[in-house]
Amino acid sequence: MTSKLWYLTSVSLKRKIKTKWFVIANVLLALLLIGLFNIDTVIQLFGGDFNEKKPMYLVDETNGVSEFFIEALNQTEYNIRGTESSYEVTNYTKGLEEAKKEALENSKILVLHFTYDENHLLKTTILSKGTIDTLPYQILSSSIQTTKVNLALKESSIDIEELNRIESPATIERVILDDNTKGDEESAQMIMSTIFPFVIMPIFMLTMFLVQMIGAEVNDEKSTRGMEIIISNVSPKTHFFSKILSGNLFVFIQAGLLFLYTSIAYFTKTLIGGSKIVGGVEEAVGDMVHQILNSGVGEQLIILLPLIILLIILTFVGYSLLAGILASMTTNTEDFQQLQSPIMMISLLGYFLAMMAGMFQGSIFIKICSYLPFVSAILSPSLLVLGHIGILDICISIILMMLINGILIRYGLRIYKVGILNYSSKNLWKKMFQALKEKS
Amino acid sequence: MLKVDHVTKYYGDFLAVDDLSFSVNPGEIFGLLGVNGAGKTTTFRMIMGLLDKTKGSITLDGKPIDYSVTDQIGFLTEERSLLTKMTVKEQCLFYGTLKGMKKEKILSRLDELLERFEVSEYKDKKIKELSKGNQQKIQFITAIINEPRLLILDEPFSGLDPFNVEMFKKEIIKMSKKGSIIIFSSHRMEHVELFCKKLVVLLHGKTILKGDLKKIKSDYRKKTVLIEGDMTKEELEKQKGVLRVIEKPEEFEVQIEDMSVVDSLFSFVSKKKHVTKFVVEEPSLNDIFIEKTGESYDK
Repeated sequence: MTSKLWYLTSVSLKRKIKTKWFVIANVLLALLLIGLFNIDTVIQLFGGDFNEKKPMYLVDETNGVSEFFIEALNQTEYNIRGTESSYEVTNYTKGLEEAKKEALENSKILVLHFTYDENHLLKTTILSKGTIDTLPYQILSSSIQTTKVNLALKESSIDIEELNRIESPATIERVILDDNTKGDEESAQMIMSTIFPFVIMPIFMLTMFLVQMIGAEVNDEKSTRGMEIIISNVSPKTHFFSKILSGNLFVFIQAGLLFLYTSIAYFTKTLIGGSKIVGGVEEAVGDMVHQILNSGVGEQLIILLPLIILLIILTFVGYSLLAGILASMTTNTEDFQQLQSPIMMISLLGYFLAMMAGMFQGSIFIKICSYLPFVSAILSPSLLVLGHIGILDICISIILMMLINGILIRYGLRIYKVGILNYSSKNLWKKMFQALKEKS
Repeated sequence: MLKVDHVTKYYGDFLAVDDLSFSVNPGEIFGLLGVNGAGKTTTFRMIMGLLDKTKGSITLDGKPIDYSVTDQIGFLTEERSLLTKMTVKEQCLFYGTLKGMKKEKILSRLDELLERFEVSEYKDKKIKELSKGNQQKIQFITAIINEPRLLILDEPFSGLDPFNVEMFKKEIIKMSKKGSIIIFSSHRMEHVELFCKKLVVLLHGKTILKGDLKKIKSDYRKKTVLIEGDMTKEELEKQKGVLRVIEKPEEFEVQIEDMSVVDSLFSFVSKKKHVTKFVVEEPSLNDIFIEKTGESYDK
């Protein structure tokens, strides 16, 4: 019977993997990930007027501010974009009205009018035909602010050495005396914003894959009545475990492939050496690794990693057991899709609680929820990184998940045995409760 | 030998099979007859262990049927039980492997059977692309691919044209000659009469007829005589032992009490000048069914 279990598992797995849709989906996933990591190179590859300098007219009625501004603009653009200035700056001498006329005729022209207000402080008016994008506006406002500061420093006769001392950042060293409360609000938010897309979201996605795969397969075998032939040759128990095994193997293969695509994307990025993008995918990955390693939480994660992985595996097994049992009770795919909604909601609960954990630090309710089977795998890693829970809490979650899995196997198998050969929804719950009472 | 011994099955309060008993020896073809809902499929499912019996026992060669012997059983379900997304080859490999067969053996046997059933060209086609008749052939092939010692066929002729019925019939007879125990069900009486020696007729789970088909027919008292000649319906009705006369366009169908009436009826008919037909017919299963239940089987 063991060989039949492995045979059923391998057939089930091949039926998922050796399909053109699996290949197409994975090719698309790989291309999308590599594309996301190298989006700047992709944009440049298709061409465009990236190097075209936009005209900027400076109408200076202050006698000298424009020089400070040009210097500040060049520095700011280099700091943010990592490139030379994207503006062709002209000191415009025909007056503001003439500059306005030109700006109305050419939407690319940007006019900056420098004057002093009644307090002899720098006043700048930015004129353009249309709206200005967020990033260029931030660069402009930052450059104007720097110009204002530099002007003030010059008028105060502060020399460059003194200026550097003023501008140099204060040295701050952080020492956390309590090992159990490592981390701080800032790093917690950073970790949360990066753990979500790279840890929680994949778990959520893979759970959905798992539930749908098992449900679809059981329903397919039921609706085609192939189930009768299969069950006349292998026991419902063997069949059930083959579905659980193949479902989980599929999910781990898919997870491995996602990791592989991300690695390829990251190395491609390194090889191509594209420019740095503020808020880009590769920056987020880098930030996540950097934050975890440097905040001290990383040390905890390394110790707890096997426990977290075990919890995630147990949760996947739990979801697959639940999906198998529910699928056996349904008579068609539509019914199963309705039944899988509550499973989705359980995952969503974990997802939202994990998001809220960053906002409500120290919440007892969220901590208790982190023990809940099915929710714990999504919630616990986040709380662990935030320093809200420790080894003991993870162990409790693992024990509870194991307990639930044991119950699902013991009682779920009884339902499965009756359910897979039941083709009528009449008295369904009565039949299932009756099955629960029978010893397998 | 397959032995079904006083088997009863209840679904809740509903009695699906009531105290059913029969046995089938190697080489025998056994028919399970009954209208829809009579309990045929339930009986097969109990034999295969897919359903638990409420009472009674089912044994193959004196041992209960469990997963240790299912490799020796072939099962064709009433409804198509093929995984339609698979190709014919994948399907046969799948079911064959579940029967404990080696891949090489399955493939060689598959080629042989595909050729015999004239569907070799569909080997790499998906099941869902085949016609209903060809799907039934593939289902039959998957049931016999392991050359089963016990072959259970639930409505095997469903969806087949007469030519293919004959093809299946030949194969079933061939397997019985090799010593397989064959049990099959049908709601069509003519299919059972085709080649079954022993049968059970079920009605609402109860056994209403059971045993050797020839004996059942010979034990049936009422006979029908077909007569064609220059007599009238009224003359025939007046004869002793005649129960009913049905006048047909070219002949009279005369139902008589028993075989003893045949001689006196023949004496009467032989006195007529023009008699072209006098045939004593065996009763059909339907006639027997009507007598037992008071209603027609084909109603």
